[in-house]
Amino acid sequence: MTQMPNLVPAYAEIFLALSGLLLLMVGVFRKTDPVRGVARLAILAFSVAGVLVLTTNAVAVTTFSGMFAVNAFTSFAKLLVLLGGGFAVFLMLPWAKNEGIARFELPVVMVFAVLGMMMMISANDLISLYVGLELQSLSLYVLAAFHRGNLRATEAGVKYFILGALASGLLLYGSSLIYGFAGTTSFVGLASALSSAQENVGVIVGMVFVISGLAFKISAVPFHMWTPDVYEGSPTPVTAFFSVAPKIAALCLFLRILVGPFDDLMFQWRQVLIVICVASMLWGAVAAIAQSNIKRLMAYSSIGHVGYALIGLVAATPEGARGMIYYMLIYLFMNVGTFAVILSMRVKDRYVEGVNDLSGLSKTNPAIALALTVLMFSMAGIPPLAGFFGKYFVFVAAINAGLIPLAVIGVLSSVIGAYYYLRLIKIMYFDEAGEGLDKPDLSTGVVMGVCALAVVVFILVPEPMLAGADAAAAALFQG
Amino acid sequence: MIAAAIAFYVFATMAVIGGLNVIFQRNPVHSVLWLILTFFNAAGLFVILGAEFVAMILVVVYVGAVAVLFLFVVMMLDINITVIREGIHKYVWAGLLVGGVLLAELVTVFTSWVMFDDAASLSTAPTPDPNVITNTEALGNILYTDYVYLFQAAGIILLVAMIGSIVLTYRTRTGVRKQVIADQVARRPSDTLEMVKVESGKGLQ
Amino acid sequence: MVEFWTAYVWPVLWIIIQILMFLVPVLIGVAYLTYAERKIISAMQMRIGPNVVGWFGLLQPIADAVKLLTKETVLPTGASPVVFFLAPMVTFGLAMMAWAVIPVGDGWVISNLNVGILYLFAISSLGVYGVVMAGWASNSRYAFLGAMRSAAQMVSYEVSIGFIMISVLITAGTLNLTELVLAQSEPLFGVLPGWYFIPHFPMFIVFFISVLAETNRHPFDLPEAESELVAGFMTEYSSMSFALFFLGEYANMIMMSALITILFLGGWLAPYDVAPLNMIPGVVWFALKIAMCLFVFIWTRATFPRYRYDQLMRLGWKIFLPFSLIWLALTAGFLVYADALPG
Repeated sequence: MTQMPNLVPAYAEIFLALSGLLLLMVGVFRKTDPVRGVARLAILAFSVAGVLVLTTNAVAVTTFSGMFAVNAFTSFAKLLVLLGGGFAVFLMLPWAKNEGIARFELPVVMVFAVLGMMMMISANDLISLYVGLELQSLSLYVLAAFHRGNLRATEAGVKYFILGALASGLLLYGSSLIYGFAGTTSFVGLASALSSAQENVGVIVGMVFVISGLAFKISAVPFHMWTPDVYEGSPTPVTAFFSVAPKIAALCLFLRILVGPFDDLMFQWRQVLIVICVASMLWGAVAAIAQSNIKRLMAYSSIGHVGYALIGLVAATPEGARGMIYYMLIYLFMNVGTFAVILSMRVKDRYVEGVNDLSGLSKTNPAIALALTVLMFSMAGIPPLAGFFGKYFVFVAAINAGLIPLAVIGVLSSVIGAYYYLRLIKIMYFDEAGEGLDKPDLSTGVVMGVCALAVVVFILVPEPMLAGADAAAAALFQG
Repeated sequence: MIAAAIAFYVFATMAVIGGLNVIFQRNPVHSVLWLILTFFNAAGLFVILGAEFVAMILVVVYVGAVAVLFLFVVMMLDINITVIREGIHKYVWAGLLVGGVLLAELVTVFTSWVMFDDAASLSTAPTPDPNVITNTEALGNILYTDYVYLFQAAGIILLVAMIGSIVLTYRTRTGVRKQVIADQVARRPSDTLEMVKVESGKGLQ
Repeated sequence: MVEFWTAYVWPVLWIIIQILMFLVPVLIGVAYLTYAERKIISAMQMRIGPNVVGWFGLLQPIADAVKLLTKETVLPTGASPVVFFLAPMVTFGLAMMAWAVIPVGDGWVISNLNVGILYLFAISSLGVYGVVMAGWASNSRYAFLGAMRSAAQMVSYEVSIGFIMISVLITAGTLNLTELVLAQSEPLFGVLPGWYFIPHFPMFIVFFISVLAETNRHPFDLPEAESELVAGFMTEYSSMSFALFFLGEYANMIMMSALITILFLGGWLAPYDVAPLNMIPGVVWFALKIAMCLFVFIWTRATFPRYRYDQLMRLGWKIFLPFSLIWLALTAGFLVYADALPG
């Protein structure tokens, strides 16, 4: 008999998979209001999975024949993803009630998407990377097209699916080139093969393909074309989910794979990433200016933020990794908060998405206006809000790594980007008041308040939030 | 061995011809049929490699199930290829450029190909000797032990795909009379029939 | 020169002879299966059946063949000629190809493939192509509807056929058909034959019904359904191309009966390995078992009305699939529990 694999490190994933199956059953057999029931249970599942992640992260271990790795970094990233998923489902509760959505599969698919992200984060082999990525992507395709009767949603789903399949194909093709060179797909094996062998064109081409595939998943320029359409076409809580969880997962995976197996090819991947990073920052800032739909605006904003986060990755130092982790942590709160605001944009019981629907909000609903102002200032990177520190850490890391031009471009593009964030504030405070928004739901308001508060108080108590990130970054570079 | 060599060249040539025809056929149904031929030849190549299990699974899954559904859909859609081809001249240069770049990359990669010297030592699951163990058994031995994680994960992926396709297509229709077999079977004559003795010369009521 | 003969020509010739030794009996079997079908059904319906050509009408199949061959081949307007003529050839060719791995006696097999059962499964799953191609190429609505029905039906029932096969395979511990038969030679509890239809009885029934659907036989003959679709996918065919379909369909019935025999009825084995029974050659037992299965095929045809399309799908997906899956889990669980896993 063969030995049972050590299941302890994967408890959170196993639990989430089983609860996904269970939720499906609950949804089928529960007669009254299955969506909200399943959604509540999904939040519970995320919380329990979070506790399991916390309890099983004591030491760095691998299991399942070395395909699944757990250390402080993966645990931290998983917590962020779970948090993002939990917020998104929480935001879905009032939305489902207001829209009269009766299909319980939405939270179930989100549970599976989060499972896929956690598997991605823990991937320690090219195959397990691909499997996790595919589980995540497939769930996201379904989520994007969820409003199947709506033309926009269908377009979003189809576009996302076709481009996503192409990206997966690129990733697989790159993996096969790498495998052809090294004869192994495990990260550990690759690292040893690449450090002892001399440079090889095949591996570099393969690595570039893998980078392209991953860049698609984080919607970095030039692989961003799907983002605005998908953000606009998806149901808003799903967009909130899109904007945080998959990005965090894919960025963490990016970090793990580049400073792990491909560490010795840093000279090569750095060039590619610098191009991606600069293009994302600039395009995210410039293209957002003309947007009148707030979800599309957030799409370009997220493209820009991915660019800033990538600066930490380009630096490829522990400091850079730490900066990137901070950035994602802060980005999570800023983005979830903003989407909570978007979800409270209801006029006469209908959800609206136009930027101009916010006009004069300071008079009709000053609380929301204040929250959005704080969040927008933070997004723009204005001190002393959290967003400033996120940018500050990655810029400092870039300067210390000798990448001064990159930091300069980053600062410039945040100045450009500040224009459209501030434009929203101007619309709220100085434009003629429109109809005014309906009173937001309690849970939406709570999420909004918590996130805005987190952004504000970050400067007062940064230590508790950053301690975990420091440990995570340290674990990443231990080997 | 000469038979194996001949078989290889036949299968390989047919696979390439089939693949080209998939792209160049004007009628999409013919394209699918050529695709099936390509699958067959790929299966043949697997047999030559000694991987008969994979060859058979390829035929069962791809030809027997996936391509049937392809064919099904393509036949139903009645695609007009000339309409799709309109405006192809606008895009053909971009396509050729991308294809050319990829080709150049491939040529560079394969002309300078070297394999890492110790690659064999890193291999996680070396291929066992087909004379000692049948390849069904060899696959089973690692699929449910070393790769159980991936096996289960692939299962979840398929589950999500299933949920997704049902969510995106299933509509509960109202006003449809559905057959409930249990009700039909449970029906007894006494539920619907009433025996009445009718007196002659009088009707019912 | 001698070496050339022994090394190259003779092996090829020997294979061709072997193939002929299989195909000729199969084709004769097909011819007389049609005769048997007409006779049996007529007996069940209290008619006489064919009785004019030859004694008891025994030459009727040959007369039918001559008639079909002398008819005109018609290509409908707007039909796709290549696919139209390819379709019957595919059907017929596949029905013949399957015999390559079927062992009719101990060692009486053309190719003793290690994955024989998968090969059979693959071949039988391809049968749908002949029908779909015919339906599409005919450029006729009846034919197309028939083809659509057939595609859905065959793909659906293949799933449960596959699961049932797996249940049997894990009991036997091999994918090789010869070994599969030999695995049934051990008597059950010392008294009953070790044939798998006894332990797997429910699956034996489900398998038989699925095979009816897979071969488009009554009561699942929706692809041809003469009362609603004229003759379904065969509507536009005549002459030789029709004959090939016809031959293919009946050869498939025989092939599927052979598969049932191998999986559940102990192949060429005698029920008990005792004196008078084991003196009869294995191939005779094999033929007898096939004949019995074929009789049930025909009996079913004479007995049951045709299923409706939604009933057919319901039966396949909502009853057979879960049932065969549960059975697979039960079988595997039992084998592990009883520590009886082979190999």
